[in-house]
Amino acid sequence: MRTPTDSHGQHCSDDNISSNLSIVTRYDWVTRRRFKEVNEEEKAKLVGNVFTKVAPSYDLMNDMMSGGLHRLWKDRLVSKLHPFPGMNHLDVAGGTGDIAFRILDNINSVSHRALKNGQAEGEDDTKIYVLDINPNMLAVGRMLDSRCLQWVEGDAEALTFEESSMDGYTIAFGIRNVTHIERALDEAYRVLKRGGRFLCMELSHVDTPLLNKCNLRLLLVFSHPSNGEVVAGDRDSYQYLVESIRQFPKQEKFARMIAEAGFQKVEYENLVGGVVAIHTGLKL
Amino acid sequence: MMRSAVARRIPFGGLLRRRILPLLSFSTDASPTATSTPSSSSFQAPPQPAAGKYPGREHLGTATLSPEPPPQGASGNEEATGEGEEVRQKKTARERGGEGDYEEEQSRVLRAALGHVVKLGWSDSALIAGARDVGLSPSIIGSFPRKEASLVEFFMDDCLEKLVDKSESGELNLNTLILSERLSKLVRFRLEMQAPYILKWAQALSIQGQPQNVPTSFKQRAMLIDEIWHAAGDHASDIDWYIKRAVLGGIYSASEIFMLTDDSPGFHDTWLFLDHRIKDAFDVQKAVKEAAYLAEAVGAGMGNSVQALLRRVSQGFKM
Repeated sequence: MRTPTDSHGQHCSDDNISSNLSIVTRYDWVTRRRFKEVNEEEKAKLVGNVFTKVAPSYDLMNDMMSGGLHRLWKDRLVSKLHPFPGMNHLDVAGGTGDIAFRILDNINSVSHRALKNGQAEGEDDTKIYVLDINPNMLAVGRMLDSRCLQWVEGDAEALTFEESSMDGYTIAFGIRNVTHIERALDEAYRVLKRGGRFLCMELSHVDTPLLNKCNLRLLLVFSHPSNGEVVAGDRDSYQYLVESIRQFPKQEKFARMIAEAGFQKVEYENLVGGVVAIHTGLKL
Repeated sequence: MMRSAVARRIPFGGLLRRRILPLLSFSTDASPTATSTPSSSSFQAPPQPAAGKYPGREHLGTATLSPEPPPQGASGNEEATGEGEEVRQKKTARERGGEGDYEEEQSRVLRAALGHVVKLGWSDSALIAGARDVGLSPSIIGSFPRKEASLVEFFMDDCLEKLVDKSESGELNLNTLILSERLSKLVRFRLEMQAPYILKWAQALSIQGQPQNVPTSFKQRAMLIDEIWHAAGDHASDIDWYIKRAVLGGIYSASEIFMLTDDSPGFHDTWLFLDHRIKDAFDVQKAVKEAAYLAEAVGAGMGNSVQALLRRVSQGFKM
């Protein structure tokens, strides 16, 4: 079988370890592309760079990568959350506020007006916090916000919120960019009230072989790094966004991690055959 | 003591396309054993973090990439923890601070929510108020498979349980009554449980009638009717079993709907309606039996006449 060649025509083995030993470059035989595994320091830095560069065109990139489906996926996440008036909610890695705006719309919808009437007097108003480590992403969201969301710059691994202060915690397409997933889950557990729910939506792994092949082909079309150059003017950042999916734990393993963090009734739902998975957990 | 049919409580709906993980104590190795292939990148666990920093995770550390594979036959886990050292298991959800089983908490919320149904209806509002009453975040409602339907189903199950307990304890004094009176008393006792919620019961019926809730609603009603017949002392196992349950199911539903529009004091008209319908059913049963006897008699009479005629004809031929 022919040895794969890199972009300069040089032959490369399945795994090349770079000189500083922190980045491992691998070659994927299915997509005929190389991808990188990075250590903790590199990852934090790379994630920061990625979102600083792509912030202005982030939503457009999402539309391109998912063919617009990400909007339906986010609607599904919010419907599973089942928001209610007067809730304190934390949307981590909320960036441009996509999820937070949807939660607010859901609460303010016609079907929830009756709930508002049924609330006790003096009950606190709904508070939705959008937390992101990247100020550029928050800036994009703030520009769109005319509804008084709380925009907080912070780290998912070290939340500044009090213990048992939140009714809900969502993180959509963000947890794979967290350096220590366990710490983020610990923090989620800490800030949630008893009865509070953790919901995580993440690009995941397709189980069905046929679907898996189709998914890989679609990834080639929709998420080729050249698209990143066209849309965001940044090839490498875009490539990282796509290839970080490979490093993320499979659905079952991630569900175990959530259970280990202390959550009960841990479940997940596959959307589009596992292209996206929504994991849920309950703090009791 | 409840019968097994009731003891097997109907679950609050199956979770389609979702896999529920049993909350067991999961133990995972920090690293897979090294393979002999030099090109594959292997993992090894770094030194453990300080105890107490991440409770229950001390044995795991964080898996990082290592430029060199560990020695052949040794796993990174052994290096990190040392041979013979007991690896601490991760805490399960319940040890870590869960104050109760999910189903118990769900029942507590639903029971508390029933107290708000009169004012707020069979709705999210009642569930939210119930969750607050028991000191839980109303977010827990999002984990109930069918929201308001869970509340109606819980109420139906609860009423059935009370009915069975009462009938088996002998408090209803059914032994002194004839079958029709027993049935009437049992149906009345069950419908009286709905009396406090009568102004909101139409809403409950509409929730039960939603396509996704119909299977469970049907099961619950079938179980209720079966329990009523059983409590009344019926142990039939022939084709009558189905007929009896179908008839009583119709009577129960008709009485339930009549009750919604009954303005009489203490639902007097409803109980009168119920008694008449049960009497009618028994009258029909009596009429059917009489018709059967008549058919048998007519059949027998006709049979005898034909036989006599044939006998005469055969005798005539012999002559």
